[in-house]
Amino acid sequence: MQATVPKARAARKPRAAVVRCLLTVLLVLAGSFATGAAPASAHVLPTSIVQLDVREDVIEARVNLPLDDLESATGIDLGDQTSETVKAHAVEITSYLLAHFAPTSDTGQAWAVTVGELSVTEAGSAATTGIYKELQTTFTLTPPAGSNARSFNLGYDIIVNQVVTHVVLVSVGSDWSGGVVTGAYQLGTIRLDTASGVVSSLHVDLGQGSNTSGFLSMVALGIHHIQDGTDHQLFLLTLLVPAPLLAVRRRWSGPAPVKRAVRRITGITLAFTVGHSLTLALATLGFPVTAAPIEALIAVSILIAAVHAIRPLFAGKEVLVAGFFGLIHGLAFSETLRELNLTGTQLGLSLLGFNLGIEAMQLFVVAVVLPPLVLLARAGIYRRLREGAALLAAVAAAGWLAARLGFPNVVASAADNLGGASMLIVGVLWVAAIVLFLGQRRRVGESTTSERALMALRQ
Amino acid sequence: MCQAAAAGGSSDWRGRRVSTFDGQLPFGPLTGYPQFRESPGTVSIRTLVDMTTPDSPSLSRRTLLGSLPVFGLFALAACSSPSTSTPTATASTTPAPSSAAASASATASATGSTTAAGTVAQLAQSFQATLGTDLQSQLLQDYSLANAKLWSNLPQALLSGGMGGGPGGGGGSGPRIGLNLADLNESQLSAFNTLLAAATGSAKGLGYDEVQQHLNADEYLGANGGGNDYGRSGYYIAFLGSPADTGTWEFQFGGHHLAVANTYKNGVLAGATPSFRGIEPNSAFDYNGTTNQPMAAKEAAFAALLAGLTTDQQATAKLSKTYSDLLLGPGQDWAFPTTKEGLQVSKLSSEQKKLVLAAIAGYANDIADDDAATILRRYENELDGTYVAYSGTTALTQQNDYIRIDGPSVWIEFSMQRGIVLSGNHPHSLWRDRNTDYGGTKD
Repeated sequence: MQATVPKARAARKPRAAVVRCLLTVLLVLAGSFATGAAPASAHVLPTSIVQLDVREDVIEARVNLPLDDLESATGIDLGDQTSETVKAHAVEITSYLLAHFAPTSDTGQAWAVTVGELSVTEAGSAATTGIYKELQTTFTLTPPAGSNARSFNLGYDIIVNQVVTHVVLVSVGSDWSGGVVTGAYQLGTIRLDTASGVVSSLHVDLGQGSNTSGFLSMVALGIHHIQDGTDHQLFLLTLLVPAPLLAVRRRWSGPAPVKRAVRRITGITLAFTVGHSLTLALATLGFPVTAAPIEALIAVSILIAAVHAIRPLFAGKEVLVAGFFGLIHGLAFSETLRELNLTGTQLGLSLLGFNLGIEAMQLFVVAVVLPPLVLLARAGIYRRLREGAALLAAVAAAGWLAARLGFPNVVASAADNLGGASMLIVGVLWVAAIVLFLGQRRRVGESTTSERALMALRQ
Repeated sequence: MCQAAAAGGSSDWRGRRVSTFDGQLPFGPLTGYPQFRESPGTVSIRTLVDMTTPDSPSLSRRTLLGSLPVFGLFALAACSSPSTSTPTATASTTPAPSSAAASASATASATGSTTAAGTVAQLAQSFQATLGTDLQSQLLQDYSLANAKLWSNLPQALLSGGMGGGPGGGGGSGPRIGLNLADLNESQLSAFNTLLAAATGSAKGLGYDEVQQHLNADEYLGANGGGNDYGRSGYYIAFLGSPADTGTWEFQFGGHHLAVANTYKNGVLAGATPSFRGIEPNSAFDYNGTTNQPMAAKEAAFAALLAGLTTDQQATAKLSKTYSDLLLGPGQDWAFPTTKEGLQVSKLSSEQKKLVLAAIAGYANDIADDDAATILRRYENELDGTYVAYSGTTALTQQNDYIRIDGPSVWIEFSMQRGIVLSGNHPHSLWRDRNTDYGGTKD
């Protein structure tokens, strides 16, 4: 009996992948898209879990095996089931594992298989499976030269060859060229067919893979990253809030001419982009980064931007500041990329795609938020709006800073969820701006005294 | 502690004369497996099987006990005959079915339907009549295979929460449907118990008695580390279709480690499976002043069956594979192996065959006494084409110990597994029928 992958996935074609990715991009940009893949179904009797990470040249199979069942299957007595005991029996265990994991290409050629270090971890939950120990290791599967590495027989019957009630869940953790960079999906199960008494063999069909789908999935990932990264958005927006204003004697005063405001906004956005692109590339290509201080510095950057939005700290030098903090935000972006363990062409294309995704989402945010801000800057209420927004950003930043320095707090978790309200905020901004704009037009028509505002708009 | 048996032996609570405890017991809760082994147990088990047939000579229990002291070793006598009562016997815990029966017979006439008095369908209607519209609408469900498949070994919380079971060791098709046992008031519960007793039979240590001990076990489990996901509030009652003497309906009752699935067609039991029994804790425990060990009778019969085989027979019966759970658990419907494995019962001596039949009776007697007799007759006729197979040790007490009885119709599996909430091992077991699972409904 052959288990096959779900039809939709097996039938995937490059063009379909492109269309789907573009569709994803659109959906993400519309902001109406929730991320996250469904979790693999939980199980009550401990199961084996095989997760495939499809790399450029090889497939890595991360495997978790319940030790009780492994003992039953091999007849090896692992006693206390500690790491030491398992390592003492490493040779026997390894030879059993390799005898029961032998992928073959569709034309019948054997793949090369090696197994990594064996370790023991605790798994399960007290309420369902009970707590049990499992063996964890990673196999490296190398396809024979010239064979299709995306369609093969998994040739896996570890434990199920003997413990016939055992179930193996097989999933794909990541598959760059298949467009899967986050969100594992289940491929199938390996278990006894009770009627025939035969253990099913799993045929893996990853569908067509291409650099295009890998690249597009990285663009989507970049978009998601900014969409979910409330802190990045907040920094840029907070920096842009006072951009349409003139700084006079260490205070924000009336609106700057529109052309100047637009130029400043463009400059800030561009500088931020250049900054984070630089460090993203450097860090992804190997520049060492420690995550914790970077995350804290990002909170500091928002705090500084918020203060600046209330009282000008670096008026006229916003572009420099944006560039500098861009460097720090870029280091944070690199975390995501490095977690994917990519190499070669895939890494290069990923860097580009991910950065473009970040850019696209950033520009989208700026394009959506800035026009109403520029309009509102001409209104009397802008001061209160600006100071209120800056204060909110400052509070969020302070919460994040505390959380990232090791003091989890409600402010930080509330701020993490700000993203959910972003569409509402943008909507309110637009409505307010439009109401104001229409009101001014009518007053101008009635030759009221708001000519200054109108003039400013026409500049 | 003996009132249940006493009442069962003397009353006529279903409105007609039925075989009562005296004639029905395959065996009671045992004081311990070693005693079973020491006894020439086959004699008593033969007798027990015979007695499940209603038209067999009406051997009174008392006569038997007098003539077969062997019963003392089974500790059966504890609850049925004062003269042989042994204080060590594990106890029944149940409210006397007779008290519930009194109220049921009172409501029976009130229902005034065409349903024959005293039948499961009529008792089901009586129970339904005690409920308000809300509870009735929860109770009454459509008859369909999809609904019939909503049983599982898992606690309800694990089926409806974020942990929906997958295939294999647990799960099933989805959370149970129906009315929560804990939502019944006293008189509703009494009517339900009357129905349950009629549907699951009066065999001591099996059927209704076992289910009551089972509910105690889950309460015990909840109070000893399991938490709120365990206990009576995790058990559900559903009528799939309308209980009546015509048409098809199923009486479904289940929760953690329990599935009762009686399908009736035109007033006749068309199938009593899939019937799941598992238990944690498996060893005897005290609950509200009574001692419980719900699956003791079933386990003893299996162990006696394997112990009764010769070394050669055991070797033939032994499976080469390892079984960490049941093969045909929830969700594995109509997936019986096409080839039977193990030792063919036709090769056994008549004494050994009785042991096989006694092990089967441990499940068949989980239903109404006369229905059980009918089913057992069918299984007895098919005995020669039935196979016994096991894996692990013959004591059936160790993790991965496993036994299966696979016949032309009967399919019984028992699997010993590690403890989940408590430290001792705990069993899962399942009775299916290759022809009458879900009353024969396949789609």
